[in-house]
Amino acid sequence: MKSVVSLLFIAALLGLLLYVVAYMPPMGDPENPTNSSDVTTRYLEKAEEETHTVNAITGIILNYRGYDTMGEVSVIFCALAAVLAVLGREKRGKIYAYADRSRVPSSVIVRTMVAFLVPFIILFSIYTILHGELSPGGGFQGGAIIGASMIIFTTIFGLYESSERIPQKLRFPLEGSAFITFFVVGVLGLVGGGNFLTYAWPNIATDLQPAVVLWLTILVEIGIGVGGAMVLISILFSMIREEEEIAVAP
Amino acid sequence: MGTALNLIFIVLMVATALLAVFARDLLAAVIIFSVYSLIMALMWQRLQAPDLALTEAAVGAGVTTVLFVVAIFKTRRREEE
Repeated sequence: MKSVVSLLFIAALLGLLLYVVAYMPPMGDPENPTNSSDVTTRYLEKAEEETHTVNAITGIILNYRGYDTMGEVSVIFCALAAVLAVLGREKRGKIYAYADRSRVPSSVIVRTMVAFLVPFIILFSIYTILHGELSPGGGFQGGAIIGASMIIFTTIFGLYESSERIPQKLRFPLEGSAFITFFVVGVLGLVGGGNFLTYAWPNIATDLQPAVVLWLTILVEIGIGVGGAMVLISILFSMIREEEEIAVAP
Repeated sequence: MGTALNLIFIVLMVATALLAVFARDLLAAVIIFSVYSLIMALMWQRLQAPDLALTEAAVGAGVTTVLFVVAIFKTRRREEE
């Protein structure tokens, strides 16, 4: 009886969702409401001139919707910090704990391939971060790729090896770098004579403004990328740490 | 051509989603779920949202899969009857 009710409920939900999907505007249609709204036209026509960015999307995300992006960054990093608080840290100095206690050791082929691939993955993530203001991607995506590369490395080589490469002393301060960089850049906008989160400082010469905007954007991207990567690595480390009594020094 | 590809992606996505739900072995479920994320990333790319595709591929298929695997090895692999 219970399963019949839940099946009926799911069927009704499915029908409703499909019914709603049929009313969505077709993709790429020039008559779509998003294409004809005033906001879209304004963004497309004025973004380059008003924000001094080379890419309209970067201009929208970091400039027109700068507060929104900053709020998103702080929400995401608060959530990640809460996850870390629940999991608990591995103890300082007790980093010798490792999770690689499985009875199946990783084969030579896997180890060699991972050792070969990880530098290239990190290179790609650096490209994603630094090229973020021109192409898809940016700080968070690049940071997630760095995190993923270190996660692959950790699962194959164990916690000890990877915590040697990213020491705790370096990791803890860098975890907050996303919000701090964003906030500092925002305050720099005030110092430069504009509003909070103004990238094109009114106090400096007009021909210098595009360069300043570019470098501030890159700074924000790097901050978010490094912060994201460090938080993801910290979450992994605190998940695979063994409790202290099991922990063995290699 | 494009419609056929979309159709294949959607069928695969529904299939992997159902398989991930019904798999008894949790490790298998996690791997199937990462396949779902990968197809989802391809789908975002087809919908011209490369930002989302990158995030989905890195976070959905990469990071969460490993975190799930670690969580499984911290607990039990098989579902209790």
